[in-house]
Amino acid sequence: MFLLSFVRIIKFGLQDIYRNIWLSVVTIIILILALFSINMLLTVSVISDTAITAIKEKIDISLYLKADAAEEEIIALKAELSNLEQVKDITYISKAEALEFFREKNKDNPEILQALRELGRNPLTPSLVITPKSTDLTDSLISELNKQDSELIDSRNFTDHKLLLSKINNITDKVKEVGMIVSIIFILTTLLVVYNSIRVAIYTHRKEIGIMRLVGASDWFIYMPFFLSGIIYALVGILAIILIFYPFLGLLQPYLEAFFSGYDINILSYFNSNFIFIFGIEFLGIALINVLASLIAIRKYARV
Amino acid sequence: MIKLLNVSKIYKPNTQALKDVNLHIEPSEFVSIVGRSGTGKTTIIKILTGEERLDQGKVLVGGWDITNIGRRETPWLRRQIGVIFQDFKLLPKKTLAENVAFALEVCGNTPKKIDSIVPQVMKIVGLEGKLGRYPHEVSGGEKQRAAIARALVHRPKILLADEPTGNLDSINANEIIDLLLRINKFGTTVVLVTHNREVVNKLKRRVVTLDNGMVIGDRAVGKYIL
Repeated sequence: MFLLSFVRIIKFGLQDIYRNIWLSVVTIIILILALFSINMLLTVSVISDTAITAIKEKIDISLYLKADAAEEEIIALKAELSNLEQVKDITYISKAEALEFFREKNKDNPEILQALRELGRNPLTPSLVITPKSTDLTDSLISELNKQDSELIDSRNFTDHKLLLSKINNITDKVKEVGMIVSIIFILTTLLVVYNSIRVAIYTHRKEIGIMRLVGASDWFIYMPFFLSGIIYALVGILAIILIFYPFLGLLQPYLEAFFSGYDINILSYFNSNFIFIFGIEFLGIALINVLASLIAIRKYARV
Repeated sequence: MIKLLNVSKIYKPNTQALKDVNLHIEPSEFVSIVGRSGTGKTTIIKILTGEERLDQGKVLVGGWDITNIGRRETPWLRRQIGVIFQDFKLLPKKTLAENVAFALEVCGNTPKKIDSIVPQVMKIVGLEGKLGRYPHEVSGGEKQRAAIARALVHRPKILLADEPTGNLDSINANEIIDLLLRINKFGTTVVLVTHNREVVNKLKRRVVTLDNGMVIGDRAVGKYIL
């Protein structure tokens, strides 16, 4: 009996979709547009996060060493600092390399190069360029470096780093806050559009719902085909958005790589590695909204 | 078969639809309930199908006290009685045969049983060649026949007909009434709500007359007296 009713519910749900094909197509198109918007929002969020991380990664900490420090002592200090838990990477820049970088950086400035030649010696000191594991650890890394009492260290003024990082953190926090508010408004609007389109779809069936009640259909028998239709709409919408959005991401990827040159940004691999989570949540969310909208609308028309 | 005991119904804010109505309908009877528009005829049908609750009194259908019937029990009541309406109330996206089958499907009948019964009932109402037609593809008379087939398909003891000829021409109306008489001959209690004088006078059956929500006449072989 239950199995028979279940099979009938599936039959009626599918029948409802193909016998109202234009209504079904319009509803699915609205779902696809809504899903496209949500995935675009997600893409923008991933891109902005990458941009913020890229800016923060630009900030590394340089520890300037005494000009006469022996190379083996520097290597030993480097090894010692590498053991700090906040440190991701340390690059040793020798006096000669520092001079080379300086010359390269100022190759278009003949006055500076001339002054360097007149000086007759390498005025630059060796340094250790330290990259923290994450920007959140920068403060604690700086305080660790301040504790180092090695005689090799010539300069450890990190105030500029702290100020810059604080400004960047301030801006990124604001960007995230605004982004969050915009996202919430956007997602709510999208969900309301979906909710309303399902209610309109049910509205066109209002007489049928009343008739079903009058010929003795139970609430379960009336509601379930509409719930099923709502779930099928969500499923078709998700499958369609996967087919539409991946080529779109494929087109976007070269532009992102060009824009974030030198940084690891791959929006396709982000969607690939979070595929189940992203599209699973979207499917569940849309299906839930569809079922909820159906429930509310049918209750209104099944009062006979 | 049907008992209305001191039934009163008021529609908000203060329209008295039925006032102290007493009505006993025996099994296999053919009763016409007549009266002007707004005298409470359709309210009686709605009370008998659980669509409206009464404010006072008691209603029994086949011995079942439906006075305070709950929403969950209403489908069970509606599966025991057949109802036909002036506007047919067919499901527009289902064929005539599917409309008839739907009444059996909601009761949980097997596909085999449905496949065997539906064509038989469609034949009884004269729609044997139109099983696959949609409601918008047939005439008003044929729609009403399909609605009668749907009402009859689960073999109810009671058939309630609410102005079944209201949207039909006289030829189709007579055919529908003849069909109701034939159904009554098989033992089904038929309650016909109408304000069609010609139909009632031709029937020569029991007539209950309502006026302002009250029963003002009840004759075993009656005429339309208003």
